[in-house]
Amino acid sequence: MFIRWFVFGIPLLIVALIAAALINVTQLSSHKKNEFTISTIGEPTKLNPILSTESAASEVESLVFEGLLEYDENLEVTTRLAKSYTQSQLTTFFFTSVEAAATAKSILETQSSRWTNWTLQSLELTGSELRLHLSQPGFAASNEIADLFDATSMVPISFVRAEPGKEARKSLAAFQKNHPEVHVVREWFDYDAAFELSALGDIAPLLDSFKDAKASLLETKRFLAEPQVHFVLRDDVHWHDGAPLTSADAVFTYQSLISEDIASPRKVDFDLIQKVEAPTPTDFIVTYRKPYSPALTSWMMPLIPKHILADKPLTWWNENFNRHPIGTGPFKFAEWRTNEFLKLERNPDYYQGPPWLDSVVFRILPDPIAQRLAFLSHQVDYWNVDPWAVSSFKDDPEFQVFSSPSKSYSYIGWNLRRPLFQDERVRTAFAHAVNVPAMIRYILYGNGIQSTGIFPPQFWFANPHIQPLAYDPKLAESLLDEAGWKRGPDGIRTKNGQRLTFTLITNQGTEVRKDIATLVQDNLRSIGVEAKVEIYEWSVFISRFIMKQEFDATVLGWTTPPDYDIYQVWHSSQTNPDQLNLVGYKNPEADKLIEQLREEYDHDKIISLANRLQALIYKDQPYLFLFVPNATTVIWKDSFRIRRPTAKGWVDTPVSTTKAGWSVYLQWFYRPEFSDAMPPAAQTVP
Amino acid sequence: MIPFLIRRLLITLVLMFVISLVSFFIITLTPGSPYPWGELNPKISQAVKENFRKQFHLDQPIYKQYWYNMHGLFTGELTSIKDGRPVLQRIVERLPATISLNVYAIIVSMSFGLLIGVYSARNAGRWPDISLSVLCFALLAIPGFWISYLIIIGLTQTLGVPILGTESYGIDFPTATSRLLDHFWHLALPGTLLALGGIAAQSRYIRGSMIETLREDYIRTARAKGLDETTISYKHALRNSIRPLITGIGSLLPALIGGAVIIESIFAYPGIGRLGYQAVLERDYPTLVALNFITAGLVLLGNLLADVLYAVVDPRVRLE
Repeated sequence: MFIRWFVFGIPLLIVALIAAALINVTQLSSHKKNEFTISTIGEPTKLNPILSTESAASEVESLVFEGLLEYDENLEVTTRLAKSYTQSQLTTFFFTSVEAAATAKSILETQSSRWTNWTLQSLELTGSELRLHLSQPGFAASNEIADLFDATSMVPISFVRAEPGKEARKSLAAFQKNHPEVHVVREWFDYDAAFELSALGDIAPLLDSFKDAKASLLETKRFLAEPQVHFVLRDDVHWHDGAPLTSADAVFTYQSLISEDIASPRKVDFDLIQKVEAPTPTDFIVTYRKPYSPALTSWMMPLIPKHILADKPLTWWNENFNRHPIGTGPFKFAEWRTNEFLKLERNPDYYQGPPWLDSVVFRILPDPIAQRLAFLSHQVDYWNVDPWAVSSFKDDPEFQVFSSPSKSYSYIGWNLRRPLFQDERVRTAFAHAVNVPAMIRYILYGNGIQSTGIFPPQFWFANPHIQPLAYDPKLAESLLDEAGWKRGPDGIRTKNGQRLTFTLITNQGTEVRKDIATLVQDNLRSIGVEAKVEIYEWSVFISRFIMKQEFDATVLGWTTPPDYDIYQVWHSSQTNPDQLNLVGYKNPEADKLIEQLREEYDHDKIISLANRLQALIYKDQPYLFLFVPNATTVIWKDSFRIRRPTAKGWVDTPVSTTKAGWSVYLQWFYRPEFSDAMPPAAQTVP
Repeated sequence: MIPFLIRRLLITLVLMFVISLVSFFIITLTPGSPYPWGELNPKISQAVKENFRKQFHLDQPIYKQYWYNMHGLFTGELTSIKDGRPVLQRIVERLPATISLNVYAIIVSMSFGLLIGVYSARNAGRWPDISLSVLCFALLAIPGFWISYLIIIGLTQTLGVPILGTESYGIDFPTATSRLLDHFWHLALPGTLLALGGIAAQSRYIRGSMIETLREDYIRTARAKGLDETTISYKHALRNSIRPLITGIGSLLPALIGGAVIIESIFAYPGIGRLGYQAVLERDYPTLVALNFITAGLVLLGNLLADVLYAVVDPRVRLE
């Protein structure tokens, strides 16, 4: 009877196969490869630094691609593909006549004792224009120099922006043809939709003919200040396909970033560039429209290969290069299986010497429990531990745990457009009422520190002297009493018949934020404040409440690069819907500090300005700054070591962590069982 | 049968249009909008945002968006908002994993369902039947992800074996057989868990239908002829009890695709379920439109297939 065999046979066959497969997998652990496996929750979108911004992609890109600059282990700027770089500034004065310019030149020549102070290197007189070469960019020195000249002999320079929407180049060219009297000195286009220019003389005709295009005078200055960065590239770098890296690749990377067809999300970092030049294959010179000191770090932007990508349409990029990238980094791209893994292989021709590992694999594991189990069964070599699990690894000698403050902070944002939160006493009272140390203890299991404002403490410009507001419910109550909020019959405070109640919203999917909301609700209730907690799915939360700025208070967090320019988040001009000053913070003093910071190039002055800014915003309490959580990583003890080149020869150390994280030396990681073929270490740290 | 098929295909076409329309509006009217760089990224300028919306026609009225999406779907030009690749390519590359997982799960649920169903029916009312019934109802009631977690935790903590993905990583496979068996292992675990509910359901159907058949007059005749119980069960009764298995195919297909989302995420299995789930979270409209359309087509096709098969195995059923 065939059907009977069928009924019993197939289940038996399946059971037998499963048993055989199980026996097989238990035998596999003795066949390990010299490979480092990293687990990642999300999948990268496009492996192209021009087009991707998410951390899943940049983690992979950081091994395949390289930028001109990078952060070193102390989060300070250092060189990578560039051998060196120098910053300078060209300041141009325009005079009414050739004689006036010559007079100005002679005035400066008599002041030669102050040249060092101004960092003035040389002068150049062309007709009625006087050009100054300064070795330090910024406005301060140029302003001092301008004060020496006769104001009436100088032609002021106007900065104008207009947004025709389309065909900006064509319409500006037409205007210039009809109005030769408006002397345009520099022009710059934002895609083909808008332009900014600097012009001499009367700009009324310009403003008039571009009235419909929202033409506006941005500012008028006495001179044109154009900072420059001059990079000298290494000459021993090759792309993974063997072609040499040259400054033409850097130029191409810049052109791609600002191209309308490519629509790079990183464009804004490069908007202040007037032009880039590549006079020789190793020289790359960038000229900016005005001083903006954070612009330097944008050159950590990885470079992309011109010889592969030039003249190819974006669809080709998406279907080919973005799935099989070619870079200059220590690892070559090998394979990407969607939703499974990405594999990188050693670049044997890497200019710093080939990495020890054969390969690095990023496994995409979307489930946190699965991630933990994959780590425990040696399927991945490294794991970002959730706060609750840290303590179980910390005391276990089998593991090595790395913990350091993350580049992020959590906060409660008070919507300052609401009358309730406009009273600083109320905000300060709330800050005293919320028990942040308890939050860190119970929500983060101790893995975090109390935040003292807009910069996480490990940044070099963060203010180390701010004392966090203490948990003091009595003080909070007296502040509220003082502000006129008195306890009502049900225990909730009231003022002029209005109850002290508001809605606290946050997003679904982050347990920590939900827990914060619950704790805050409880803390506030005890001082007579009613907070109603509402939780929304992320996309709804953002589009309906946050970006429209229709909320009372919200639990959120910022993740930030070590960048002191916080214009978008705190400047008073950024408070409209869809802009990121979500709470509507407006403080003229803060605005001034933010603007000064952007133009300041001096390391010490940046620190002092940033420190003042951080203290000022912390005092104003537009946010209740909660905590900076620790990022914790765990690996199996001694499963990997580091052997890296130093001045003393090869130094062999255990894996350790730095300010920039634990993986900065990934290219020098190795599995001890594969160490035979490696050069001996001059020094070994056990 | 031919007129029936033609009529059904026409109905299917109309239905597909309605489904595409309704699902498109549900997708796009859901609050939230696609935004690939993180809404709170201060480094994105207004110009870049507007350019992005123009590229994907998000600045157009909704009926035009529907047209662009459907037109793109049929010309194959529809590209994902997430990675800019054609959505059909994104879906097709997931198919092998999803199909092998679902085929395996269907085979397991059918074969084990049959075995348990027949066994229960033959022992109806006695303790093997009662305990199997309890087990089946338990399997139907317990959420699949919970059992999955228990099994994953159990296997990793006791045996330390790899389970996630489609193969073991960081391993130099000694032989080709070893590699093949490794692949089968990574298919069998999620596949079996995916099939658990199906086993329980199928076995209940088979049991019921078999018990009913065993009460028929022709079975009594067979017994009267003096045939042994095994022959009666497998040769006479089973053939007539097998119909639920066939209708089951029609209903299993959608259930499997739905159930796979969770199992695929837990086991990091690269199937269509995860693609769809990600696309929902990211509001990747083009991918969702294509996925909905294709899934709806598959389900309708599955139903049609079940109807036709029904007529094939049961001569009493006529399709008109």
